[in-house]
Amino acid sequence: MKVEELDLSEKINKRIALIKEEVLSGKIKLLDLQLNPIFSEINDSISISNIENYSQSYKNAVKLLNQKFEELKNLLTSLDIEKKFEDFLKTNPGEDQISDLFRGCWRKIFHFEPISMKFLDYASNRYVKERITNFNIEHLIREKTNDQFLLEVPKYKFTEKISAFYEKINKKLPCFFEDVFDNELDQIEIYEQFVYLLHLLQLGKIKYEKNTNTLYI
Amino acid sequence: MNEISILMYLLSRKKSIHQIGATKKEILKSLNVKNKNKSVYFQDLIMGLSKYLEPLGLQINFNSLNSHWFINYDIELTELISANPFEGRPSLSATLLCVLTSCLKNSGYTSIQEIRILRNKKDVKDDIKILEKEGFLEIDKKTTNIRLTPLIGYKLDLQKLFVRLALKLKE
Repeated sequence: MKVEELDLSEKINKRIALIKEEVLSGKIKLLDLQLNPIFSEINDSISISNIENYSQSYKNAVKLLNQKFEELKNLLTSLDIEKKFEDFLKTNPGEDQISDLFRGCWRKIFHFEPISMKFLDYASNRYVKERITNFNIEHLIREKTNDQFLLEVPKYKFTEKISAFYEKINKKLPCFFEDVFDNELDQIEIYEQFVYLLHLLQLGKIKYEKNTNTLYI
Repeated sequence: MNEISILMYLLSRKKSIHQIGATKKEILKSLNVKNKNKSVYFQDLIMGLSKYLEPLGLQINFNSLNSHWFINYDIELTELISANPFEGRPSLSATLLCVLTSCLKNSGYTSIQEIRILRNKKDVKDDIKILEKEGFLEIDKKTTNIRLTPLIGYKLDLQKLFVRLALKLKE
């Protein structure tokens, strides 16, 4: 007899969730559990008015039933498995026949050395950094000022700097490549002078002999 | 660093030649999970990572021989990259099956003599040595007893093998 207007769907869902938890934690085995009471309860309390709530309960209960079938199937295939293996070997199968038995049963394990915690941390940081590309462009607040705006420009033009550098090293030439920078200790200055030297070589004002490592005019 | 990266690290690490991945206990400890519903949380975590891995042709598996969770390539990729460690060496597959049969019969242990009888072959020592070297079995130096390592649970889908065997016997 149906229990009209009684909605037990939530209670059933909670019960199924509890079963799931107990199965996963190893407290109970699905094969030892009777699922009939759950289906009977659904059958006895479902009605047109609450049918919507019951769809999830029914789905969860069927999921449990499928899992139980799966476990039963595994149990049946593994019953007396050693005897089955022996029976097979008694038929004196050839090496190729045995090898064929394994076909499709091999697994390829995924093992990847670079997935260390250090590597993942590095990759994660890099990924996060690289993703920050959507900078917000905010409108600048116009500052009120009475001063005239001036663009700051270098004191000397580039060509003037090259000329000054040429005048400086002119007296040293011919000399070894390194000797051009011999008095310079500041790394930035060396880079700057190196750029000038490249330009002078390109312009043909200075020449370079690779074999003797010599700069000359 | 999040749960997924930690899980990825734990499941793909190789502890030894026949120990890959991590147990549920190790995973929960690493993630500092102590709540009441940790089993459900654990399952959700495994399912979550498995969804991420699926497009990469990877899947999460469980080795019941040592209770370790690990990652392997899915069936399609496995067929492409040939997972059979004994390709072109059918003798090793045959000896391994005999070891497996004998170990199942004798509560996990066997001997060279037993394998020789099952294999119907005089000399199986070379095969045994190779299988030991590749990590499938261990030989007790004192008793010369042979036992399988958990490696077979990683490399072989035992359930599938049982089904194939049952079908073969029915033929």
